Amino acid sequence: MLFEPFTDVVPSFWGWLNQGPLTLTIFLHTVIILPMFWIYFQEKKRLGKK
Amino acid sequence: MLTSIKSHKLQYEGQKLGMMYFRVALVLFGAQLLMGLIAAYQFINPDFLYGIFDFNVARMVHINALVVWLLYAMIGSVYMMTPEETGQEVVGVGLGKLAFWVLTLAVAVVVVVYIFIQIGPGKESTIWLINEGREYIEAPRWADIGIVVVVLIFYFNIFATYMKGERTGIMTVMVADLLALAGLYLAGVFYTDNVSMDQYWWWWVVHLWVEATWEVFVGTLAGFALLKVIKAKREIIEMWLWIEVLMLFGSGILGLGHHYFWIGTPEYWWEIGALFSALEPVPLVAMFVHVIYDWGKEQGAHGGSPVINNGPTMAWVTINAFGNFLGAGIWGFFHTLPQVNVYTHGTQFTAAHGHLAFFGAYASVLIGMFYYGIQKAYGIEKLKATFNSKMAIVLITFGVIGMTVALTIAGYEQVLVERAELGAGWDPYFTAQALPWMKQAMAWRMIMGVVTFVGFVYLFIDLLTIGKKEANN
Amino acid sequence: MENGQSVWTSIRFWRRSAAWVTGFASALLILLTFDTMGQIKMGTDEDLQKGITKRVPAPTVINHHIDYKYSKKRGHEVPVIGDKEPFFGKEWSPKEARALLHKGKLTVQAKNCINCHTILGNGAYYAPDLTKSWLDPKWKQLMAMTNSKTKEEAMAKFLQHPEKYPTHARRMPNLKITPEEAQAVVAFLKHLSTIDTNGFPRGFSKGVKEFEAGGTYAH
Repeated sequence: MLFEPFTDVVPSFWGWLNQGPLTLTIFLHTVIILPMFWIYFQEKKRLGKK
Repeated sequence: MLTSIKSHKLQYEGQKLGMMYFRVALVLFGAQLLMGLIAAYQFINPDFLYGIFDFNVARMVHINALVVWLLYAMIGSVYMMTPEETGQEVVGVGLGKLAFWVLTLAVAVVVVVYIFIQIGPGKESTIWLINEGREYIEAPRWADIGIVVVVLIFYFNIFATYMKGERTGIMTVMVADLLALAGLYLAGVFYTDNVSMDQYWWWWVVHLWVEATWEVFVGTLAGFALLKVIKAKREIIEMWLWIEVLMLFGSGILGLGHHYFWIGTPEYWWEIGALFSALEPVPLVAMFVHVIYDWGKEQGAHGGSPVINNGPTMAWVTINAFGNFLGAGIWGFFHTLPQVNVYTHGTQFTAAHGHLAFFGAYASVLIGMFYYGIQKAYGIEKLKATFNSKMAIVLITFGVIGMTVALTIAGYEQVLVERAELGAGWDPYFTAQALPWMKQAMAWRMIMGVVTFVGFVYLFIDLLTIGKKEANN
Repeated sequence: MENGQSVWTSIRFWRRSAAWVTGFASALLILLTFDTMGQIKMGTDEDLQKGITKRVPAPTVINHHIDYKYSKKRGHEVPVIGDKEPFFGKEWSPKEARALLHKGKLTVQAKNCINCHTILGNGAYYAPDLTKSWLDPKWKQLMAMTNSKTKEEAMAKFLQHPEKYPTHARRMPNLKITPEEAQAVVAFLKHLSTIDTNGFPRGFSKGVKEFEAGGTYAH
């Protein structure tokens, strides 16, 4: 029962992601935050060179 | 404030224009509170002005005066800070002054129509001429067009000044934020028969203003005020400002989802709305605490006593930092989860959140800017709080918190009785409204509203007199 | 702060992160908006006849019986569009229904309804929520008060002269609603009750049953 069958009126990509526990919001947070690691390490490299 | 525009102390014409905006803002603030008192009293005595000046009119003017005075104060604040940040006179001040008068005339006409004509027949002409009937953006379509034109002039002035002068980090955030703020208004200027579609785009204006662009705006303003009032370090302010932009836009933009739970939009918004926007106000408090900590440390190291060169502004910015956290943050998070919101949506709970958030996040810091303007206009080195300033701070803050607590109690009662127990509808609504818990809460809301209004009277007198009084000292 | 070596105190790092997050969140919102727009677009009369469920059905839904029932699959109440029934004594063509809904929505805006009521939960809190007002059991009582044969007739009469039919100390004022406007507003409200609101207001159908059993919300 952790992953529910699709119940919303119209099927869609976002609705599909929404079927598990917090899966949609975790997905969105991840794709937003992940590239910040890249920005972080790029910045670290830049500061190290100084 | 009365003689502030004739003052020779203001170096820049742009700042005089800022003071003009502040004066109208203050008057509209008073109008907002008066209308709120009428509406609050109608909750207690529904026969009051029944059929003459009904609740819907009082409430419409109450919330519209709020939005318009905040916008006036915001425009005024930008005109105050732009010359100081860029080191440039505002480009196109003459045009800016013309825009000010056009806007003020339009606002006056809209208010007169609201108060005396109130409603129209169910035709397009009503939407164009009398009122659009959409909460917060009731202004008729002709006024919408006027607002867009005036805002374009304002934005051009600020942008051109920014390009010409020094481009500080604070100004960069401000200029970018203002563009988004102005552009979003367009999402609310259209008509559709589909009420779900209508509310979808209506929230683009209301939410993306109040919970995204306006929040970044006040962050910028609070940063500027701290910079000037306690000479905070620019690097600390700018670093936190970018963190604010990151957190506020990162969570606020998709946080829009918490308005899309029940208006006909798909279920996936539940999850998006539930968790985004939860972290919004954290960086605002963090910046304030960091700045104050650093300031105390620095001052202590030099062995001198800490310097605050504008007492009232500092007090209102402090109220802003914590009021924003409590009102927007805590009170907002109370009912942002869909599991809770399915019961709290459309109850006095929302009103409680609205009162504390608008005051804590916006009104407070803008009142602080009024005092900053006065300090500049009268060329006062160190503006100290008078008895009136202190009374205003205490009474307004206490009054708004009191109203919020009363409305929260009313909200709990309404949620449990009308929604959870009886399942909503005509009789459930009135059953909940008739309970003593609701009636007592509404009486306390009225009392606290009066306290707030008395505080406003002190504020009004103080703003009119403090400049002259302190300048002579 | 003096230690410029740490990334965590680097203004550049936060500025770039802020730009990325803002831009990407905006892009996501736009994608989501496209998806939602498709889902909340008003359905057509054809959808209704074929029994295709739409979140916002066609205006001709006013020709149908409407209910709001618990759905085991969805886990909350959903609007149920039933058999045809006359609305103001007739069946409305797609064109007529659209015109009626248009007038109704305009009237709801022109009369400033949302500064007392809420619609889909948004508005003011001085009067009941209108989302499922078409289904409110209270109209039975109003039918008797207004001497009407149908619910829609009672609603239209009430809307034109609310001051004549007070049910509580807090009364709705007369908003100079004409007979045509009243009919249109009733159509708007009936259409409103068919929008799939993901189960808001929750427990409404249970309340209706209790009310109909006892004629009142006893407590």
